[in-house]
Amino acid sequence: MIKYLATASLLLAGAYLSTTPALAADPGITDTEIVIGDVEPLTGPPALLGVAASIGHKIAIAEANAAGGINGRKIKYVLEDDGYVTARTIQGVKKVTDVDKAFALLGISGSGQSIAVMPLLEKAGIPTVIDVAPVKFLWEPPRKNVFVVGQSYEEGIIHLVNYLAEKNPGKKWGLITQDDDYGITVRDGFDTVVKARKLNVVYSGNYKKGQQDFSSDMLQLKESGAEVFLAGGIIGENIAMMKELEKLSIKPVVGIFWPGRVEPVLKLMGPAGDGIYAVDYVEPFAGAAGKAFLEKAKGLLPEAEMKGINRYSMTGYAAAKVLIAAIERCGKQPTWACTIAELEKTKNVETGIMAPISFGAGVRFSNQKLQIMQSEFSTLSFKPVN
Amino acid sequence: MRTGDFKQTYGELVTLVDSPPVWLWSALLVAGLIVAPFVLNSYVLSFLIIILITVVGALGLNILTGYTGLISLGHVGFLVTGAYAYAILVSKYQMHPLVGFLGAGLVPALASLIVGAPSLRLKGLYLAITTLAFSFIINTVILEARWLTNGARGISVQRPEIFGISFDSDAAFTYLCLGFAVLTLFATLNIRRSRVGRAFVAIRDNDTAARVMGINLHAYKLFAFVTSAFITGLAGALYGIYLSFVSVEGFPFLLSIEALAILIVGGLGSALGAVLGTILIVLLPEATRLVFSLFSAQIDAVFTTGAQELKSMLYGLVIILFLRFQPRGLVGAWHDLRRMWVNWPLRY
Amino acid sequence: MQYFMQLLISGLAIGAIYGLIAMGFAVIYKSTGLVNFAQGEMTMITAYIAWTISTTVSGNVFVVALGAILAAVVLGLIIERVVMRPMLGEPVFATVMVTIGLAVILRSSINFIWDAYPHGLDVGFGRSIVRIGPIGVRTGQIAVIVTLLVLLAVIWAFFRYSKIGVAMRAVAADDRTALLMGISATRVHALAWAASSVIAGIGGVFFALSYDLSPAMFQLGLKAFPATILGGLDAVLGSGLGGLLIGITENLAGGYIGSGMKEVAGFAMIIVVLMVRPFGIFGERDIERV
Repeated sequence: MIKYLATASLLLAGAYLSTTPALAADPGITDTEIVIGDVEPLTGPPALLGVAASIGHKIAIAEANAAGGINGRKIKYVLEDDGYVTARTIQGVKKVTDVDKAFALLGISGSGQSIAVMPLLEKAGIPTVIDVAPVKFLWEPPRKNVFVVGQSYEEGIIHLVNYLAEKNPGKKWGLITQDDDYGITVRDGFDTVVKARKLNVVYSGNYKKGQQDFSSDMLQLKESGAEVFLAGGIIGENIAMMKELEKLSIKPVVGIFWPGRVEPVLKLMGPAGDGIYAVDYVEPFAGAAGKAFLEKAKGLLPEAEMKGINRYSMTGYAAAKVLIAAIERCGKQPTWACTIAELEKTKNVETGIMAPISFGAGVRFSNQKLQIMQSEFSTLSFKPVN
Repeated sequence: MRTGDFKQTYGELVTLVDSPPVWLWSALLVAGLIVAPFVLNSYVLSFLIIILITVVGALGLNILTGYTGLISLGHVGFLVTGAYAYAILVSKYQMHPLVGFLGAGLVPALASLIVGAPSLRLKGLYLAITTLAFSFIINTVILEARWLTNGARGISVQRPEIFGISFDSDAAFTYLCLGFAVLTLFATLNIRRSRVGRAFVAIRDNDTAARVMGINLHAYKLFAFVTSAFITGLAGALYGIYLSFVSVEGFPFLLSIEALAILIVGGLGSALGAVLGTILIVLLPEATRLVFSLFSAQIDAVFTTGAQELKSMLYGLVIILFLRFQPRGLVGAWHDLRRMWVNWPLRY
Repeated sequence: MQYFMQLLISGLAIGAIYGLIAMGFAVIYKSTGLVNFAQGEMTMITAYIAWTISTTVSGNVFVVALGAILAAVVLGLIIERVVMRPMLGEPVFATVMVTIGLAVILRSSINFIWDAYPHGLDVGFGRSIVRIGPIGVRTGQIAVIVTLLVLLAVIWAFFRYSKIGVAMRAVAADDRTALLMGISATRVHALAWAASSVIAGIGGVFFALSYDLSPAMFQLGLKAFPATILGGLDAVLGSGLGGLLIGITENLAGGYIGSGMKEVAGFAMIIVVLMVRPFGIFGERDIERV
């Protein structure tokens, strides 16, 4: 009998421990603190993007805290890792909203991941600014509490292809994309321009995510005689492609997309990567704005974090800036409703690293201005083209 | 607590539950799970949901690997086919969710028939590779069949409404998953104690002997494969609903490995093991995160960017240490504990 | 023809890398009866160590090669001693699972010790392009094919003539009898892990040379495992050839059918081959006796 009682009491204790205290009235805000939550891939290969984005958020938050916080309240940043696994992204968002009681969210992980947490965000009604993977699904139809800073993949590609088409009239085109939603969006954007300008596409490839050997694909590209090539890889893929092209001794005009526009790539491509065109809506690090950003980061970040900075730090910084500004405008007692209303009123917020950011009534997408850049092997950097 | 008893008839050996207290404890557990959604917050609840869904899948794999001794490295292939079958039937063609669930079982079962019929004459790891190949090929098929699957874009899935009951809230969805988990548990336990289940185990333990006893190896292996795929497909449908978005991306190859890990860590060949293994593997990242957060201030001071990886390393380390000291899995640990409890203070 | 030759040569080059890693799988399976799920991760670690040597100690190709081989030996020995030996005598399933846990740890150590950015291994060799007629090949690619062929010959001779090689075969065939004959199973296991680590590590270093280093490199293990199955799990030489076969098939399929077919083609071929030869092309037939 004693044994039974002991087991029962153990079970009861377990049940008691697993229950949690009742909900607080105003989530994420105390007299001294405001909690901002974020879920990013911080482990595994996609950490390249997740860590960089979180660093961007940290810079903006450290900057605000250094200036006394938001109307006297310090910002506490809660960051969760999802390892780029969708189920864990959902868990992560639930954790930062339910356990850490975040007041607002930044982030959130990749495109598939943010799409998957969308129903959750809508139901929760928490003010959210998305910056990592801007895809149309996130702002069409507009959700009351979800704002997206950036530009759509599709528009980015259209801008790039239009530019390349104008510079290289009458040339033959080649394209390769990844077999996921990112790749499809790239392809859609490309097809739009192809139709409008009646481009002559001679090669259209499709590779499996994680493919590392592009020899046969690039050989097909060569055989097709393409003169302008849109490389739809992300990072390692684009490097492998450029090296194959070098081996096959062809040098088409190459365009890449912003997820692959990180500086270390150029070093790895070697001379083959000279003169590549890229499109982006943040400033290149080689420019004055980029240098100023790095300078600012140096004062606010520990030394070891500096090497994690790339373009995603800029987008993350901008999104965090917009969010902090909106909360600030709510004055002494910020609420969710007020923050959302103020986010909506965001008008020409300057971040220094991209065009001024604006939202509006029913507009949940900042629609950033795009610019074309070109790589320079001698300095291992991207320079704006005009 | 009992630790062993003597069976006098064959019937006693195959009863579902061999003593009343087990019924009592099971009933208490189910009652606890029914109350759980009311007292848990949605974060803790989401773990319960994941555990229940994973239990369904793990029990499915258990029929194949645990009972019949066949290794599959590509069970995620059945998971993704089940999820897509449900998403296509319900989201795309607006069919009844129950039809969706039926399809989520039948389509993977059909796929397993196609894969299994020629490949089940293979043994051990050679069978593992055909299932591995299947899981890669099915991804390509899904991505190519754009007219049906939306290709890489994926399909959004709503929480279902069955007979006027909406499973939209987390609590309601927990009950749906609980229903599936309990049904699957009963089904697999009953399969195990039937003639078919005994044939499975005979094949696992010694296939030559099984054949001599007149068991049609090919037919029974195929049956195990198809049943396993059916159940895994159901888990896939639930997982797809939970993710609210079905795409190839959401079902990485790693899930196949994780499923095997669950069975082995739980204790191979037992339904209880599958359940315990699921709980451990699902909660382990959370546990490591908790440990990690206790020391996070110190860790952050020493390492910065790479520190998050310590968590994953801890996860791997726990698995290794666990198997080192308890190679028979959680079920083995449970048996040892039971024996210790009864014999205490004696050692044996 | 030129198109075909170019495809063939690139196929051989990547296939040789698969083959080296596949041989790593086979060496361990043959002498311990285990599938090492951490093979791809061990390969990756060796390549990263080679890169670290090249950037910190010296970029000389011999220094890097020697350092990488030493590192691979040490890595293999440590893993065998610390992780695998305590599992001796435990159920095979649990032991294989331990290698999965090990894989998790090794994979995470990349971002922990190094970072998530891609890196190039520069040893002043392997990057330059040689033109044979109209066909371009990198010297590193030629080197990896040659290395694989040389290793195949060496390993054949090792198992055929050397005392340790015969001992390893004996342990694989019947460990108990081998033990009675005075062969130390643990020593054979340690040797197998070290050898496997080195062979696969060479593949990894060559991969880093021709492509680049990234934390996603462990996926090479996933490509090489089918090659092992194709060649025969217990056939070390067969696994090497299996790698070449997969590399060629992938590239020909990619070049002639379409780029999306690349991954699938290798698997499709394996299924067909296994239907005809269920123990792999060079694997030993398992004769059932009652």
